[in-house]
Amino acid sequence: METAKDRLTIQTPEQVGFDYALAGLGSRTAAFLVDTVIRWFLVLAILAVVGLVYKFLPALDLSAWVKDLSKTWLIALAVLAYGLVDLGYFLLFEALWSGQTPGKRRQRLRVIRMNGQPIGWLESSIRNILRAVDLVGGFYPVGIVVVFLSRNNQRIGDYAAGTVVIVERQRSVPEDRKEVHAPQALTHPEIEWYVARLKPAQYQVLRSFLERRGQMEQGHRHELARLLSHQLSKQMFRSTRVSISYESFIEEIVALYEKRRRAI
Amino acid sequence: MPSDTPVGTEKKFIVRLVGLKPGASRETLVQALQRLLKGKSAEEIGKALERLPLVLSRSVSEDKARQLKLFLESQGAILKITYSASAVMVPPKEKRGQEIAPARERPKEAERPPDRVDRRAKPRIHAGIQVQPMGVGEILDRSFRLLRQYFWLFFVIIFIPQAVFFVVNFGLQFLISGDVTQDFSSSMGAGFGVSAFLAVLIFLVLQFWAQGALIHAVSETYLGHSTSIKGSYGAMRSRLGRLIGTMILWSILVFGVPALFGIIAAVAVPSLAVMGLGGLLTGIIAVVAVILAIWIFTTLFLNWLVADKVVVLEESGWMKALRRSKELMKGRTEPGFWKSIKMKASLIILVGFLIGIGIHLLFQLPGVVLGIVFPEGLVVTTVQGVLNMVAVSLATAYTAIAMILFYYDIRVRKEGFDLKMMAEKL
Repeated sequence: METAKDRLTIQTPEQVGFDYALAGLGSRTAAFLVDTVIRWFLVLAILAVVGLVYKFLPALDLSAWVKDLSKTWLIALAVLAYGLVDLGYFLLFEALWSGQTPGKRRQRLRVIRMNGQPIGWLESSIRNILRAVDLVGGFYPVGIVVVFLSRNNQRIGDYAAGTVVIVERQRSVPEDRKEVHAPQALTHPEIEWYVARLKPAQYQVLRSFLERRGQMEQGHRHELARLLSHQLSKQMFRSTRVSISYESFIEEIVALYEKRRRAI
Repeated sequence: MPSDTPVGTEKKFIVRLVGLKPGASRETLVQALQRLLKGKSAEEIGKALERLPLVLSRSVSEDKARQLKLFLESQGAILKITYSASAVMVPPKEKRGQEIAPARERPKEAERPPDRVDRRAKPRIHAGIQVQPMGVGEILDRSFRLLRQYFWLFFVIIFIPQAVFFVVNFGLQFLISGDVTQDFSSSMGAGFGVSAFLAVLIFLVLQFWAQGALIHAVSETYLGHSTSIKGSYGAMRSRLGRLIGTMILWSILVFGVPALFGIIAAVAVPSLAVMGLGGLLTGIIAVVAVILAIWIFTTLFLNWLVADKVVVLEESGWMKALRRSKELMKGRTEPGFWKSIKMKASLIILVGFLIGIGIHLLFQLPGVVLGIVFPEGLVVTTVQGVLNMVAVSLATAYTAIAMILFYYDIRVRKEGFDLKMMAEKL
């Protein structure tokens, strides 16, 4: 059986536990992919700016200076410039955005310290300088193995900086949450009877159906609504001939249940 | 105050262990159960846990049942406690009216079972397992978690055909040329042709068998059941022919149709040039033809991406499986360009591909270094071959797991697969 072991629990001195879901290799690679695309665009933008400056500002002509430099120096400068963009991107974003880069933000990931606090310049610097070790040979071969073997999905940079990458909880309420309104008048008097006996677990299933029905295919949606209504009446030993559609029946039950719960 | 409990008869309960909470440690639970089930070894309890539900007691008092529940639930167990029918005496007639009234008149619609039993909803979800819609990141992370948790199960399933092919290939090379470091091309012959064909045939059958076994194993573990390497290969025996047939059809269509288009374009474009069409125009037509061929390949590939899962998990085959795959891959379940089903599938494949490159680099670099340091020979070739097999198996396993979870995610979103399971237990 699969178990949800990829969690980090941080215990505060007040004995309050914070539970974080650890980011796995997949979502981290997806975030890295987004960041790579952005960095490419960044490098292209820098090259375009240099090109424009070179073309439109003849006073800044550096060709003579460039000619004086040896080939080795030019390569070194190019590597340094690329390294600054490459390293600086992660270092700056993670330090200034509390452990997030645009890619991580898109994937809802965040780097935090092992004690749950946000990372600072020091942690960001250490984990990103050591990225070179994880990246050795390209495509993170070392990083993949270290993350695979690590209990908290940490790469070498994370171990050195004492950080961990977590998945942020979704804070938004599902859009459909507001859709179910309590009807002005019940279309069927027996609905009250159902609501009075509805268990929280049953309500959750009905609520999930209403929230997700928009994504479902018509045939399956209708079949599921019928199955839910059928199971409900079977469980409650109730003889109800529903004159409305199955979905409306479920909607009314959920709406009335929520109305009553609010009243309590 | 009236009571349903007959005088002199204590209520008795049946205590069943129906599952493990997510995150629960199996070892801890086995130790806890060993304290309760005296005389049972850890192995026996472990085996019993694989065949849940496990009846812990058929007749315990309410207090005892409560104690058991408190203790075992703290150890990560999911318990189901019901009345023991044999222990409950029939209450006196005058008290029967207080029982829950049975349905007076069952509506015809409610009596009638659903028109069609959905065969595709067959895989049962183990109690305590959360199957719900997931984003791409969640699918990738859960695949990683599954691979880590059942590493040997998935790895060995994929590794078997690679290893067999390696050994057969190695043996054939040795028999034909007497030197494993020589390529086949250097010792061509009729015997070689037949042997190579046989080796490839064996590999293909084993490869499809392993593919099916992996789908079965991932599906079972994802839905909270346990399985083994032997069990997964065994489960595929009856479906192997259908899987091979469907996958051959898949390959012919996915690779054959774009190839056919490419051949037609390759003949037509030079002909147009000969007929006097300008160089620029001919070039544009050639580029458009190439783009079209790629588009046809991508569309067919993505449309029939989950056909193998359909064959194994829904037990349909051939064109029916391809149609079903297309139906699943069609449309979008969430708003946004990046969240269309095909786009999500492409992202998963891309991430899997990148991770695959990383794995290949890691395992092939030592082989390359070995090849540089030592002269080519039996040991170096063997080590390089084994490392390559490990890399292929690891990279394949990760992407395959992600695609199987993706298939379930589509069904959860489009068909309410999880809700159907829950509705049946409502």
